[in-house]
Amino acid sequence: MDGRPGVPTRDATTDTGPQTPPRLTPEAPPAPPAPPSRGPGLLDGLEEGVVVCDRDGVVRAANPAARRLLPGLRLGEVVDVARCESLTRAVHEGRHGPESVEVVIDHPEGERHLRARRGPVLGPIPPPPLETGDGDTCWYLRDVTGEQQRTDTLLAAQERAAFLAEAGRALHGVLHLDRTARRVVALAVPRLAAGATLVVRHDDTVTWATAELGGGRPRLGHTGTVDLARVPRLAAALAGEGVGAGCPWLGEELRTLTGRDAAGAGRALRACPVPTTGIVEGLVVLAGARADQAADELGTVEEDLLSSYVARAGAALAAAALHEEQAHLGAVLQESLAAPRLPETPGVEWGAAYRPARETLRVGGDFYEVVATGTGQRSAFLLGDVCGKGIEAAVLSGRVRQSWHALRLLEDQPGRLLSLLNTALLDAVATRDEDPRFATMVLGDALPRDDGTVLLRLATGGHPPPLVLRADGTVEPVPVAGMLVGGLREARFGEAEVVLARGDTCLLYSDGVVEARGPGDFFGEERLAETLPRCAGAPAPVICEHLEQTVVSWLDGHDHDDVALLAIRAPRRDT
Amino acid sequence: MTTATATDPATDPATDPATDPATLRADYLERLAASDEAGAVAVAIDAVDAGVDPEVVLLDVVAGAQREVGERWAAGEWTVVQEHVATHISERVVGAVARRAPAPAPTGIGRVAVACLDGEWHGLPARLLAEVLARHGWAVEFLGASVPAAHLATHVHRAGPDVVAISSSLPSRLPVARRMVEACRATGTPVLAGGPAFGADGRWARAVGADGWAPDARAAAEMLAADPDGPWFADGPAGAGADDRSAREEQTVLHARRAELVGVAAGAARPRTTDTGDVPDVPDVPDELADDLGHLVDFLAAAVFVDDPALFEGFVAWVGSVAIPNGLRAEEVGPALAALAAALADSPRTARLLRDARGRLPVVPA
Repeated sequence: MDGRPGVPTRDATTDTGPQTPPRLTPEAPPAPPAPPSRGPGLLDGLEEGVVVCDRDGVVRAANPAARRLLPGLRLGEVVDVARCESLTRAVHEGRHGPESVEVVIDHPEGERHLRARRGPVLGPIPPPPLETGDGDTCWYLRDVTGEQQRTDTLLAAQERAAFLAEAGRALHGVLHLDRTARRVVALAVPRLAAGATLVVRHDDTVTWATAELGGGRPRLGHTGTVDLARVPRLAAALAGEGVGAGCPWLGEELRTLTGRDAAGAGRALRACPVPTTGIVEGLVVLAGARADQAADELGTVEEDLLSSYVARAGAALAAAALHEEQAHLGAVLQESLAAPRLPETPGVEWGAAYRPARETLRVGGDFYEVVATGTGQRSAFLLGDVCGKGIEAAVLSGRVRQSWHALRLLEDQPGRLLSLLNTALLDAVATRDEDPRFATMVLGDALPRDDGTVLLRLATGGHPPPLVLRADGTVEPVPVAGMLVGGLREARFGEAEVVLARGDTCLLYSDGVVEARGPGDFFGEERLAETLPRCAGAPAPVICEHLEQTVVSWLDGHDHDDVALLAIRAPRRDT
Repeated sequence: MTTATATDPATDPATDPATDPATLRADYLERLAASDEAGAVAVAIDAVDAGVDPEVVLLDVVAGAQREVGERWAAGEWTVVQEHVATHISERVVGAVARRAPAPAPTGIGRVAVACLDGEWHGLPARLLAEVLARHGWAVEFLGASVPAAHLATHVHRAGPDVVAISSSLPSRLPVARRMVEACRATGTPVLAGGPAFGADGRWARAVGADGWAPDARAAAEMLAADPDGPWFADGPAGAGADDRSAREEQTVLHARRAELVGVAAGAARPRTTDTGDVPDVPDVPDELADDLGHLVDFLAAAVFVDDPALFEGFVAWVGSVAIPNGLRAEEVGPALAALAAALADSPRTARLLRDARGRLPVVPA
């Protein structure tokens, strides 16, 4: 329909054929048709054009502004000669037609947007006296070209901003290279292109992702950088060497690399290098929005949009790659420091629970170890706590655990083993510029005996005393204490022996358990001793799990120190 | 809640007690009741050896028996430790079945991370889901019970699974579910929710923003096979409740004042006789009563959060029906609700919920 803003109706000229020169040339502007001889009229100073037509469409009056806007207008002639089709139609429809029209006209000074409204018919206006005829219409014309352009520009800018904001939002939260790659291509289709392929190199891996209009979920694959040798020009483009639109080899090399037709194959392809970030190298290849679009037409209109999009993609890819590197580093470190698996040992049952203070880290300053040494042999165990939290504490705990693993091969008597550990810890600290780091721990071994009982030998330094939960539900602390480990060379450590009858459990725990601070109070030794009898008869893993749950629900979401539990149980039945 | 496959006539197992899932489940439950790990493992492994589909063993025998265990605990027949022991045995059985009949290699359909909500200790349903999905060709990462939201976010960033499946049994964890779902969705990973926490028909899964809900492991596997990408809700996620700012604010208030509210409710439910008549600074509330009232506040917060009174009323009806020594007694529920309503007069939705719930209480003989 004609009146819609922004739709050029080109009423005035082009239908006369391309050869015809503009009907009204600017040589004689403005062509004043029958200017009133009696001086300026009342409407002559208006910026709004005013046209009065009678019921036959004959122009009865027009002010200079109207004649400027519609140079073809002639007084006394039908309005059709102004060659403004929408206005002509509106005039002829008279009072039954639309009350306003918007048109685009070819004006000698360029394309103009006009907005015309039908307004009140003017009364007699001197001079010249203009008698109002029945059926007259009066049209007020306003040039809204600038306004229209501003609106169009604003809408386009808003749309671009919305697209970029959406792209930023969608890419921002993803810290995974593959997912980011998928998103980069998914976002490009269909806004920027009918098909998009991304190639990213990070370290020695090349990741490609491709999305196509109507092609469903983006596809993704990996290959080694060695494969780049098969696509030398693509490799060069990845490295930031010149590539542009219409490179005929693009489609071919992408097919070689990905083993499938490039997205939008058959259309013109355009390569946009991802701005270098020093972390990843990337190339986005876009396929034309229309099959007949030429390569150099691609994205020419929206060059700035394209570059903003590619810049966002580059930043997201770099962040994801960097995060992946760091996360891998962290994961490897965590894995080496995470709580170990418990062995299965005949005649002794083990259970453990571990909840580091910084739960995302999954490691902390508390630690435990259990090593089975063979059927009927002593199994060695260790539970302790180095001062501090987080990764620093975890690294120190790793050192203590490694030392224990080595030293227990040389010394199996718990008290002497603990003294050796103490010396090792002091010596290790002395070799570095470190503040002294203390640890508390209980270590020992468990010997299953033929009668089903388990003999425990324990040594402790600075650690809360272990608790023994008898099969009947009574709880006894093991009366053993000692000095901090890693503090003094001549530190003294306590030793004890405990016999576990069938169904008895010895519980080692770190102070994070009793110092767990809920909304009211610390969890405390008393509450621990009250909770334990409920677990009488339960397998060792269940005891630890139950205690962990009790402590965590006591915390009620509050921060806590590392929590570690190790339960050693003499099974009720032979296993 | 046995499913049709439990008595699939195609294999006609019903005639053979060695392969009939209902018989196996009864046997298995008996072993659980006796805390007999070896016996329970034998029931499951013998069934697998007799040709029962391992998925049937896991879902109809083990999970079916565990549901019964849960009901016995909810009815107050079993202690929480007994339930833990049974669950522990079932965990071992799942491991044994997985070793006896290992899942085939992943088919490349996708990678799924299976996690329980933070504070959700019932890890077995999620573990079973992990096993079932592995048998349906998924590469599965099982993150375990009670996964902190931050830990899940880290994992999703690092491992980049195609789907995250979260499991929860307690509706009181719904606000936490919302946080975990948001963490996943920020990375563009669709979330499939499962378990009774999300309501019998999954309505609260929508309220916390999940992309879909599956009633059980079998349904989850079917949904994921039919559409690995989601969203599985026909009309998209995010129901009314959780996007509602005032609902979230009131829930936050409840969470922040939880300890104080437990004290207020305890004082009203079981007025203490003190010699001096003064109210002591630290209320001496039995742990069991404090636990029940803590859950009451949690369920209230969840009901406000998803804007569904039925969630709270369901809990209120249940808590009065269970006889835990020292726990909240039926006749104490009314005064507790009234005290909470008075203390929470500034939170209109919460107060209305409390008043309505109180109005629906059955008349309890004093």
